[in-house]
Amino acid sequence: MIEEFNNEIGKIESLQELQDLRVKYLGKKGLLTQQLKALGKLAPEERKQAGQSINRDKKQMLAIIDDAKTRLEQKAINAKLAAERVDVSLPAYKLSTGGLHLITKTINKLEDVFRSMGYDVVMGPELEDEFHNFDALNTPKWHPARDLQDTFWTTDGRVLRTHTSPMQVRYMETHKPPFKVVVPGKVFRNEAVDATHEAQFHQLEALVVAERITMADLKGAITEMASALLGKDTKTRLQPSYFPFVEPGAEFAIWWKSPKTGKEEWLELGGCGLVHPNVMKAVGYEGVTGFAFGFGIERLAMVSYGIPDVRYFYQGDMRVLRQFRGEL
Amino acid sequence: MRIPYSWLKELLPDAPSVKECSELLTGIGLATEEIIELEAPPVGVVIAKLISVVKVEGSDKLNHCIVSDGKNEYSIVTAAPNTKEGMITALAVLGTHLPAAGFTVGKRKLMGIESNGVLCSPKELGLYDYSAGLIEFPDDTQIGENLNELWAAETVLDLEITPNRADTLSLLGVARDLAAKLQTDFIHPAQDLKLSDPNIDDSLKVEISNLKACSRFSLQRIDNVKIQPSPIWLQRRLASVGLRPRNNIVDITNYVTYELGQPSHAYDLDNLNDNTIIVRNAKKGESLVSLTEEELKLVEDDLLITMPSGSSTMPIGLAGVIGGLNHSILSNTTNIALEMANFDPVTIRKMAKRHSIMTDAHYRFERGVDPNIILLASARASSLIAQLSGGSVHPGVSLVGKEQELKTVDFRPSQVEFKMTLDIPLKLQKEYLERLACRVKELDGDKWQITAPSWRYDLEIEEDIIEEVSRLYGFDKIVETLPAMYFVPPVKDSTGRVLRSSLASFGLQEVISYIFTSDQELAKAKAPKAVVRLQNPQGVERSVLRTALYPSLINIAINNKQEASLAIFELGHVFNKVEKERLSILMSGLMVKANWLAEIKLDFYYFKAILEKLARTYAVDLELKAQEVEYLHPGISALVLWAGKEIGFMGKLHPEIAASYGLKDVFVAELDLPLISSEIDFEDINRQPFAERDLAIILPIDTNYNSLSELVKNSAGKFLQSLDVFDIYHGDNIKAGYYSMAIRLRFQDREKALIDSEVDEYMANVINKLESMGYSIRGK
Repeated sequence: MIEEFNNEIGKIESLQELQDLRVKYLGKKGLLTQQLKALGKLAPEERKQAGQSINRDKKQMLAIIDDAKTRLEQKAINAKLAAERVDVSLPAYKLSTGGLHLITKTINKLEDVFRSMGYDVVMGPELEDEFHNFDALNTPKWHPARDLQDTFWTTDGRVLRTHTSPMQVRYMETHKPPFKVVVPGKVFRNEAVDATHEAQFHQLEALVVAERITMADLKGAITEMASALLGKDTKTRLQPSYFPFVEPGAEFAIWWKSPKTGKEEWLELGGCGLVHPNVMKAVGYEGVTGFAFGFGIERLAMVSYGIPDVRYFYQGDMRVLRQFRGEL
Repeated sequence: MRIPYSWLKELLPDAPSVKECSELLTGIGLATEEIIELEAPPVGVVIAKLISVVKVEGSDKLNHCIVSDGKNEYSIVTAAPNTKEGMITALAVLGTHLPAAGFTVGKRKLMGIESNGVLCSPKELGLYDYSAGLIEFPDDTQIGENLNELWAAETVLDLEITPNRADTLSLLGVARDLAAKLQTDFIHPAQDLKLSDPNIDDSLKVEISNLKACSRFSLQRIDNVKIQPSPIWLQRRLASVGLRPRNNIVDITNYVTYELGQPSHAYDLDNLNDNTIIVRNAKKGESLVSLTEEELKLVEDDLLITMPSGSSTMPIGLAGVIGGLNHSILSNTTNIALEMANFDPVTIRKMAKRHSIMTDAHYRFERGVDPNIILLASARASSLIAQLSGGSVHPGVSLVGKEQELKTVDFRPSQVEFKMTLDIPLKLQKEYLERLACRVKELDGDKWQITAPSWRYDLEIEEDIIEEVSRLYGFDKIVETLPAMYFVPPVKDSTGRVLRSSLASFGLQEVISYIFTSDQELAKAKAPKAVVRLQNPQGVERSVLRTALYPSLINIAINNKQEASLAIFELGHVFNKVEKERLSILMSGLMVKANWLAEIKLDFYYFKAILEKLARTYAVDLELKAQEVEYLHPGISALVLWAGKEIGFMGKLHPEIAASYGLKDVFVAELDLPLISSEIDFEDINRQPFAERDLAIILPIDTNYNSLSELVKNSAGKFLQSLDVFDIYHGDNIKAGYYSMAIRLRFQDREKALIDSEVDEYMANVINKLESMGYSIRGK
């Protein structure tokens, strides 16, 4: 009988068939069950031997059924998994992806650099009064230095700030030295707009005031910033220049390797100097010195990424903006 | 300021190469913007004389000239208007290539007459920008010479002069600064000249009624001048600084302006009534026609140059800015009066601004011209005029106004080390200052008294002197240190980084737009009317400051019509009565673009979800209250409450506004910043089991979920942990004007497991409350 059973179980493909086979041999009316029931008709000595033989067959059958069950269950799981397979290479749902504006990213990076150098970061108003934008910065009315910055005036006599420097004055009016602070923000110049000139752009300005702040501290601070921004191998060049609110005043450039052209060169970045005594006087400071330096953000971003036209920053064209995703 | 290298070299024989000069000048604060190479005129151009000039018959413009170069005569037809017999000009012979004109001279026949060469204008020769006539040279110019050998190529350093250094708007000033840097001597172009004597009567008269505005004025008489073209060397110098040569007298006044920095003006003495000049303020209603034929309406603050006219005086120039028409030198002028004057910078600047006139003279005067150079400059110009026009210079001069006293500045040489950390020997500091013509008086110890020269308006305080010494020593020698100070900045997010990064991570792209807009744009977007207007805008479309951000975002949406899905935001300032920082968000198009997977349309609840997500990021409650606002769809418009505070509006852009921009289905939010976030109040995890109950309520169509949820929350007892809507059903078996809303309530106690009968009791309260308010419960 066991041969016949083995023969049949070898052909079984499903759990149902396995159940049917189990009933056929081991059910209440199964072939093996009937053999067991027939034992009573045998002589006692034959009964014992036959009983042992049937029980051995039963045990063997049960074990085989168990094995087959495990095998068939595994097969069913495999079949289900196979049916659930997806093509991972097919395109997914087109969810929208966000990003920061390149100017924000550049300011963030600079903010990190300055915070690591121990600077506070503050923001100021974009619509300024004449006092903070000019007079307090040693640029009196009717001084030709006002021509250095083509100014937007409002009909009520205020100005769109031409630089972030008025925030120097506002900060000093409300804080006592020593301090180190940077001011990022929008500034405005009434210049003809072209690929390199915008009527609206961004600046970042640093101001440090303490008991003795020197031109060497200024140069050191610029190099420190440049190193944090561009890597260790950089240096700073100062060339005398004139900004009414500093004396001595200078233009500064940093030595860098342009990531776009790979060329090592001086990158002329902005203006700097020691805070003019008249500015100190305007905010009521005595017995302290300080330095200030400032530069344009757009220019830094343009030379860093090789952006050809400053107007790209404000046109909001997604084909431009989405190229600067990453690094939130 | 253009500095021709050969001219600089004349004043400063020790000047190094052009490149080195450029670097040195930049290093002392006279930055070289550009090095310009001016070419010599082409080979093949010779000095020639017009022997005869005859009009070509049948032509309005053409003249037939016979031209001589001393050896040969040429037949030449020209359309130039200024031909006359005996004139000396430039002839390009056959085969000469004229690059500036773009052609090679060839044989031509005009109206049947042979033309074997071209008579040239300055522009055709590439010398300076004048093409309305032939170049002219004085009568004594040797004909037959190659112009190329007389008019050499030049290298020009174009310097960017900052407003404080008006003294370097001259060859003299630049040479002096560079000589100081090089620690060498320079040659003053007027050093050995004899000055005219103010005590000798020259029958000229000068009166100044406002000595504050005009501190000094001299008038020099020169008789019997011959007006003619300037010699080649002078024309070449003027051309190289960017000026157009006119005649010898005018050219010399311009030459001296560039050489010494003193503007001047020459009057035809025979047209100067009573030989008198009166400097006075304008009278009400007076006017003046300027050289450029513009009628200037004068105001009382305007300072005028006038001359007697009958019983009163008439204006002949706007002092220090521009001369009047018909008062300049003409070709038949024989006697001249040469003006040198000094004017108050602010007076000049106001006049120039008031009349919108920018001239070289005004530019110099408003920055400050050396008040004490007048007689020297007058002597220099007079001697050149005598030399080039044959005029005789009167030994006397009419002069009004005193020399200006010099300023002194207290200076401690030790401050150079203190402020610049530059260790410059005292001897060298002194040398630098003296080379800049400062007088240095060493008082006791670390105390010097510096007397600044009259041309250095900018030397006023100790810091100015520190800069002088340091810039000559070299800013490149400054070492690098770091500020020694104790300062710990507060930790805060001043630039909105958390907000920007959150929105970007929610799938929105940040944009930055202009703060300028127009009344029309604001009106179109139904934004508040402009409050701040620009006095000097760049066109009407940028004439006011924005009162809201969303109109800017709409414009960006228009520029991005190629995008199937747009989700953008901006943080920026708006300008109403006060300047405020705002956040605006705009979303339109699809939330998920279709591909082989289905698209998902953007709707109000997704837009709201962005705000809710933001509120959860800040751990505050967000509530929207239906409220109409002009720019939003009246049925899809809400007041936004952030942690209970009204911060702005959100909703669907009014379809009519959207349509006016060619857009549709645009959602916008406009919110005041800063957004507050809540303090964190930690609560331990609630490990007790919770119980949930569902309820379906039949509600009138216009029910507001806010009020319904308030009712439920207020009646469900203190263990209600959350409430959510899990189904909304508008169906056939609900009576008209009503719908069914299914809500799920979750109850949970912190102390113990709630038992069913307790929860049933809370639910009964809720149902009673709802029924008492007239709502019916479905399935009951």
